[in-house]
Amino acid sequence: MASQDAALEAGYRRVTREVTRIPLAFPHKRTWWIAFLAALSLLALYFVSAGMTFAVGIGAWGNDIPVNWGIAISNYIWWIGIGHAGTLISAMLLLMRQRWRNSLNRFAEAMTLFAVVCGGLYPILHLGRPWFFYWMAPYPATMGVWPQFKSPLTWDFFAVLTYLTVSAIFWYIGIIPDLAATRDRATRHSAQVFFGVLALGWRGAARHWARWRQAYRICAAIAVPLVVSVHSEISMIFAAGPIPGWMSTVFPPYFVLGAAFSGFAVVAIIATVTRHAFGLKDLITDLHLDMLGRLTLATGMMTAYGYFADVFGALYGGERYELHTLHERFFGEVAWAYWGAVFLNFVPLQLLWLRRWRVNPIALLLVGFSVTIGMWCERYMLLVTTLYRDYLVSSWGHFWPSFWEWGLFFGSIGLWLTLFLLFIRALPMISAFEIKEATFEEEEAEAAHG
Amino acid sequence: MSAPHKPQIAKADAGARHLRRAAAEFPAAFAGLSQVDRRDLLKVMGASLALAGLTGCQHDPAPEARPYVRTPDGIVLGKSRSYATAVTFGGYAQPVLGTTHEGRPTKLEGLPEHPASRGATDAFTQAALLGLYDPSRSKGPARFGQPTDWGSFESAMTANAARLDGQKGEGFRLLTGAVTSPTVGRLIEEMLRRWPRARWHVFEPVNHDLRLEAARLAFGRELSVRPRLDLAETVVSFDDDLLGPGPFQTSYARDWGVRRAAYQAGQGGSELLTAEPAPSLTGAASQARLIASDAEVDRLVVALAAALGVKGVAAPALPDRQAKWLARAVAALRRVGSAAYVGVGPFHDPAIQALGLRINDRLGALGHAAVVTEPLFKAPPDGAGSLAALLADTHAGRVDTLAILDANPIYAAPRDLDAAGALRRVRLRVHMGLHEDETAAFCHWHAPVEHDLETWGDALAIDGRPSLIQPLVRPFYAVRARSVLLMNLQGDLTADARTLLGETWRDKLGDLQSAAWRTAQERGFIDEPDPAVAVSAASGAVTLPAASASSAGLTVLVRPDPAVWDGALANNPWLQELPRPFTSLTWDNAVAIAPALAKRLGLKTGDVVRLEAGGRVVEGPVWVMAGQDPSTVVLTLGYGRGAAGLGHGVGFDAGPLRTAAQPWRLEGATLTALGRNAALATTQDFTQLGDFDFVRTAPRGDVAPKPAPPPPASFYPPKPESRPQWGMTVDVDLCIGCNACVTACQAENNVPVVGKAQVAKGRHMHWLRVDHYEAGAPEDPVFFNQPVPCMHCEQAPCEMGCPVNAAVHSDDGLNLQVYNRCIGTRTCSSYCPYKVRRFNWFDFTGGDPPELRAARNPEVTVRSRGVMEKCNYCLQRIVAGKIEAQVAGREIGDGEVRTACQQVCPTNAITFGDISDPKSQVTARKAQGRNYALLEEVNTRPRTTYLARIAPEDADG
Repeated sequence: MASQDAALEAGYRRVTREVTRIPLAFPHKRTWWIAFLAALSLLALYFVSAGMTFAVGIGAWGNDIPVNWGIAISNYIWWIGIGHAGTLISAMLLLMRQRWRNSLNRFAEAMTLFAVVCGGLYPILHLGRPWFFYWMAPYPATMGVWPQFKSPLTWDFFAVLTYLTVSAIFWYIGIIPDLAATRDRATRHSAQVFFGVLALGWRGAARHWARWRQAYRICAAIAVPLVVSVHSEISMIFAAGPIPGWMSTVFPPYFVLGAAFSGFAVVAIIATVTRHAFGLKDLITDLHLDMLGRLTLATGMMTAYGYFADVFGALYGGERYELHTLHERFFGEVAWAYWGAVFLNFVPLQLLWLRRWRVNPIALLLVGFSVTIGMWCERYMLLVTTLYRDYLVSSWGHFWPSFWEWGLFFGSIGLWLTLFLLFIRALPMISAFEIKEATFEEEEAEAAHG
Repeated sequence: MSAPHKPQIAKADAGARHLRRAAAEFPAAFAGLSQVDRRDLLKVMGASLALAGLTGCQHDPAPEARPYVRTPDGIVLGKSRSYATAVTFGGYAQPVLGTTHEGRPTKLEGLPEHPASRGATDAFTQAALLGLYDPSRSKGPARFGQPTDWGSFESAMTANAARLDGQKGEGFRLLTGAVTSPTVGRLIEEMLRRWPRARWHVFEPVNHDLRLEAARLAFGRELSVRPRLDLAETVVSFDDDLLGPGPFQTSYARDWGVRRAAYQAGQGGSELLTAEPAPSLTGAASQARLIASDAEVDRLVVALAAALGVKGVAAPALPDRQAKWLARAVAALRRVGSAAYVGVGPFHDPAIQALGLRINDRLGALGHAAVVTEPLFKAPPDGAGSLAALLADTHAGRVDTLAILDANPIYAAPRDLDAAGALRRVRLRVHMGLHEDETAAFCHWHAPVEHDLETWGDALAIDGRPSLIQPLVRPFYAVRARSVLLMNLQGDLTADARTLLGETWRDKLGDLQSAAWRTAQERGFIDEPDPAVAVSAASGAVTLPAASASSAGLTVLVRPDPAVWDGALANNPWLQELPRPFTSLTWDNAVAIAPALAKRLGLKTGDVVRLEAGGRVVEGPVWVMAGQDPSTVVLTLGYGRGAAGLGHGVGFDAGPLRTAAQPWRLEGATLTALGRNAALATTQDFTQLGDFDFVRTAPRGDVAPKPAPPPPASFYPPKPESRPQWGMTVDVDLCIGCNACVTACQAENNVPVVGKAQVAKGRHMHWLRVDHYEAGAPEDPVFFNQPVPCMHCEQAPCEMGCPVNAAVHSDDGLNLQVYNRCIGTRTCSSYCPYKVRRFNWFDFTGGDPPELRAARNPEVTVRSRGVMEKCNYCLQRIVAGKIEAQVAGREIGDGEVRTACQQVCPTNAITFGDISDPKSQVTARKAQGRNYALLEEVNTRPRTTYLARIAPEDADG
């Protein structure tokens, strides 16, 4: 018995060491620096592009009448959508007591947070007068004017802000015990102070754990409905407009599932890459890859249903303008976006029906990339094919994104990478205590059994 | 406004003399402000005063300027004043009512009492306002291109006049544009009396020489024939663009609109049949449009003459399609007797045009549906006023002094006349005009003239009524009236434009203090049409031109441009950015070819081609024009200007192809693709109507009121039922697509001009656009025009979409945009099914020079970067009307508030008013069976609705 306990103890210590060694004694400094510099240069591009947009106006982009919204908005939806997976994995699976989530949740949550930051900046960047963005908020303005509550953009403002706040709090609460563990293992004074402050005086007392568990579960319970509401709301930006190709009741579920789909794909990318880069095969096991593959496949097939329902709706409705938009999506100037979305989202996805591909990190990574790009195409397609050919033939137009728009897009990837690289460099990126807890419970169960 | 601010005029007392010396010493530094004396100084200060307000916050007024404390008599600050005056176009007066705000002209409206305008104008007249503020106008006299002062000009002219006096004007030539001005005519006459050996020549690039020649052939003398389209129930146009752009458009379209409205109401007929090689506004409005090449049109005129029994004409054989059209034309003409008019294009062979006059004579139309008068233009007395004669004399060295007034032969003259070479042989060349143009660059002296809105003068409107031109504002720059310059040429330095004008009219109106003069000035014109001349076509034999051997090549037709005309308007940004009819092209001209020809040569719109005719060549981008004759290529004048401010280098110059003998039509041309592509900027990229019903047609009988259908269900609460409730109808049957409304809206609402690059990106700012559609095969489509302002939806998606309450609905049914609340999410535009909203992608207005700022309407906010804007039914006019009615304690009367587009529309296609008033005009129009809402199925319940076009009544179409 004692030896078993000792073994368990050793196992815990290994988990903690494996997780906390990464921020304290980073293994791949050189590779990290190269990646970080690349991310920083993209971030610089972001700042230059944003500066250009602020300086001269939205005219720096390729937008026009009728395509008032271009890739700024499609990127916004794409980013926020990607974020959804983190919350789903953490909160939903926490509430459902799916233990295997513990290896994935921390970086999935971080990914969410950073993706929401990247996405959330777009609505401000795309304003004609960004310096008045706060007019969207209901504050006691001297003008006595409130936001216009019928507008989906007002709901959007609340939804995204709420989502960002809750995601940040949830992520932070979740990381506190591990911050304390890192603090305890830190040797440098600066690291001790840094992690000490962040750990908020966590000592691992039973009362701490009880309070913590309450807070964590309440946050999770708040976060789960947000996953549904935020992207439902974002879909309203489209669906509330009386424009063919947008005004469809399938949009809210279609968007939520698409969001989760793209998010799982990104989690799959991160999981496979970090697993390889930091040798975390013990923590991110084949089980995790298998589960990620299943989730991606499931949400992917549901998204495919959204595609089908959208097309079916247009055909069954037989409304002239809807049919025309459908025609434009299939055969128009940006048909590449439609067929790109269909192909990249759903064709490689079919590999995941088989377990041997699901547990193959390379295959999962490639499917993840394919879906991420595919979902970008989808957002672009939904936005542009609808706007550039709406009702009146006379107002049909074109859309060619400008350099600055692409700059902002790749720059926002740089922003995300910068934040994420800082995260894996500085913070425990896998939830050590939760894995330990899971391990313990498994052992207990085994012991009871044996 | 550099000139008024430049001089240090504070020390004026001591300064006047010094300044004059300094100005003589450094004319460049004092351009525009020579000869400052005390009185001029006050004038200048007045000008800077007037302009101080418009430069906005960016420039403080000069410290010497005095604030507007004591208002001059009759001026109420903030209240506009209107003056009846006229602007000239192609030599003709376009009678206008000019609105001024604090001394700045800000808008021109048609003169309501004038029979040639009746309150309407065309796009050119609207844009004439901007000509006044054109930053590229010359601001002072120049010698060899260097700024100088008037004193030097005067002494040079005095010396020359003294010399000419000695030789009775030998060697002196005056070249002017077309002149209808009685005063200028009188002064030229007097000049020629003083210098009997001098000669006067006229060069107007788009002229009526062939028309007059045709009249000479038909009637034995030069006469002017003008259709009365309000009386003509059947009009047959042989490539005669009666409703198209030009000095006659306002009047003709007004008349046609009157007839058409009567026809709609069941009174009489209104049938328009057109045979033409390239689409024109007249063709688009026609009930039967036949595509025929230039030569085929000629043959059709002959065939019609033969069919109607004009003597001495044998009927040519016609292909089936043409014969059918002709039969229809004959039947339509026979049906209406003398209420008919047959027009033959002004660029066709005079003999064919003369045949057209004979047909009208035969129909009994002359004196009824066509008015015959003496020519309105003053022509040189010796009858040899052509430019060719002048240049021949010049080449022969017979010209010693050449004074050019309002003519630009270096740019516009046919190249084979070698105007440049000729001018170089003249010892003293004086150019007088608004701009330092291509010709000014060839002249020793350039003397700037006053714009019509700042000068005293007169001119004849197209109906022969003399208009009095009075200044709405003192000249901004050191410029002079045309009449004064004519006197200066003769060494008279004391002449004053108002006195010269008064002398012309002394016999008729008495002196300048008389009541008659004052009345005429207030009315803006003298109500005295040219007496009609009763004529009959000479019974002589008809000589027809030999049918040109139909060569294998293409026929090139050269036409004035619908936006920049002959190029004189090329630096007017409103016109450059005005979408041309049919193409919606802006900032460019193109080689228009038929779809069949394009297919044969493998060309598409934008491909650059080399067009060769008679060894002469031009290069330009192709435009594939639906409904054009396959053997015809159409070019427009007015582009490729060498010196025209904004117009510099815009488009390509069609000039090199033209010859003095054949300025309008060239045979045997060839097209070669150059394998290059030029970017053309259009405001509408797609024109195929397909099976959409944006523009509807209805049978004529469908004018009876129909009961309003119950409003479809909506989730939103009904709008308040207060009065008034504003609404608008646009009659697509009356709209000819002339673009006057677009320019009027631009002028009224300070709509910015964005330039070619932004137009190409789909960022033009017009609040009101004229959508153009083609229905049917591109080879021979039916054309539709549809003005689209904001629909002012009762259930407006834009209002629902705006997160900050910037798009709001007013109690009187207006959908309004609150600029200072807008943060630019552009949701409103994304949700707008009509895409009528316009976004300030950049700061489109902040960089405007002060001159252009002065042209803005102070009643309308200038929008900043990043905000959405759109049509608001001319809110400022509604508010003004409301205030006036409230002050008077009454309700706003029907027709009291008129939107800018409605006011300017020559055919009265636009009606605006209170739809809650059962007796209002707009209610009556909306009750018609032809009334329909654009995109009714979206259930936005638009307040702007359309009246369907009335389908042609024939069966065989």
